[in-house]
Amino acid sequence: MAVKRFPDWIRQPWPSGAAFREVKDLMGDMDLHTVCQSAHCPNQAECWGRGTATFMVMGNTCTRHCTYCAVNSGQPGPLDPEEPTKIAEAVHRLGLKHTVITSVTRDDLPDGGADHVARTIEAIHAQNPECTVEALVQDFCGAEKDIARVLQAKPEIFSHNIELVESRFHTMRDRRFTYQGSLDVLRMARGMGGPTVIKSAFMLGCGETEEDVHKTLHDLLDHGCDAVSIGQYLQPTPKHGDVHTFIHPDQFKTFEEVAYAMGFGFAVAGPFVRSSYRSETLLEAPVAKARLGQAVEHSHGI
Amino acid sequence: MEFEVKLPSLGDDDDAVQGGMVALWLAKVGDSLAAEDDLIEITTDKAAFVVPTPKAGKILRINVNEGDDVRVGDVLCVLEIE
Repeated sequence: MAVKRFPDWIRQPWPSGAAFREVKDLMGDMDLHTVCQSAHCPNQAECWGRGTATFMVMGNTCTRHCTYCAVNSGQPGPLDPEEPTKIAEAVHRLGLKHTVITSVTRDDLPDGGADHVARTIEAIHAQNPECTVEALVQDFCGAEKDIARVLQAKPEIFSHNIELVESRFHTMRDRRFTYQGSLDVLRMARGMGGPTVIKSAFMLGCGETEEDVHKTLHDLLDHGCDAVSIGQYLQPTPKHGDVHTFIHPDQFKTFEEVAYAMGFGFAVAGPFVRSSYRSETLLEAPVAKARLGQAVEHSHGI
Repeated sequence: MEFEVKLPSLGDDDDAVQGGMVALWLAKVGDSLAAEDDLIEITTDKAAFVVPTPKAGKILRINVNEGDDVRVGDVLCVLEIE
C-alpha cells in the first residue's frame, strides 16, 4: 500500500518521553479511558507531555455511530460506580489544574448518564478544589433535566459540540443528533443560568463552504455560546469518512478573526485544534472571568 | 553498547493507535544523533508523525524501510550508544 501523504502542516511528534509515559501508565493502571487514545488524537504527545489528558467516562463503547469518529459503536457495558472517584484520584495524582470530562453517548441509560457525569465533576471538585472542569457532553436527547443535572455539578465550562456545519451535518453525524437539537442543548444550558461558560466546537474539511462556517458561528452565538473552537477533520481509519479538504492554517486564522468580530468571547481555530485542546486557556479570557465571577457572588450568597 | 530504538506505545487502551507506515527516514546509517533528534516519519491514517530518538548515538543498522507497516514495540533501528 502506498504511503499516505499529508500537507506539511498535518505533522506532529509521536508521543514519547517520561511525562508522556507517566500519564500512559497511570491510565493503564487505573483502567481509565481517554478520548486522546480512543480518538487517535494527534495532540496526544503535546497534551500528555504536559501532563494533561481528557477523560472519557462511561466506557469506550458508544450507542451512536458518527462516521468521523474512531470510538467503537455498540452495546456498552454497565457503568463503573467507582469511576468518578477513580478519575478524581487520577486528577489528584497528575496534579491537574484543569481537566476535561467527556463521554460516549449512552442512549441505553434512562438519564443518558447525566448523573454519572455530574458525580464525576463533583468528585473532582471535592478532592481537587483548585481544579477547574470542562464538561463536554452529548445531547441527552434534548432532556432538560439531564442537562440541568450536569450543570448542577458546576462545571466551569459546559460544552456540547455541534461538530459539523448544517449542510454537512447528516453526511457524517449519527441520525439521532440534529443540528437544531444541538443548538437547543446550548440554548437550554445558557437559559439555566449559573456560573458556567458555554462552548461548542466543529470540524472543517468535510465539504463545507465559507458561508456554511459563518452561518454556524452565527447560530452558535445566537444560542448562547461564549466560546468556539474549530479544527480540521482527520480520518481515523480507512473505514471512516474521507477528508474532503485540508484547510490551510491561514484560513483557520481568518475564521478565528471572524468569530471574534461576530462577538464570541473566545475563539480558537487551527488544523490541530480539538474541543479539549488547551481548554484551560479559555478560562483566562475576560468572558470566562465574567461568567465565573458570578460563582464567587453565588458562593457568598449575594 | 547497542540500543534498539522501538516505536513507543500510545497507551494500554485497546482502541489506541497500534502502529503506522514508515513514510521517510530522517537519518541514515552512520549518522550521529543527539537525544530527541528527529529519526523517522511515520504516518497513521490521521496524520504524519515524527519519531525522535530517545538516546544519543550513532545509527548502526536500520530495521524498517519506507513503505513498511510498523507496530508499536517494533525495532526501528539500532544505535551505538556510550
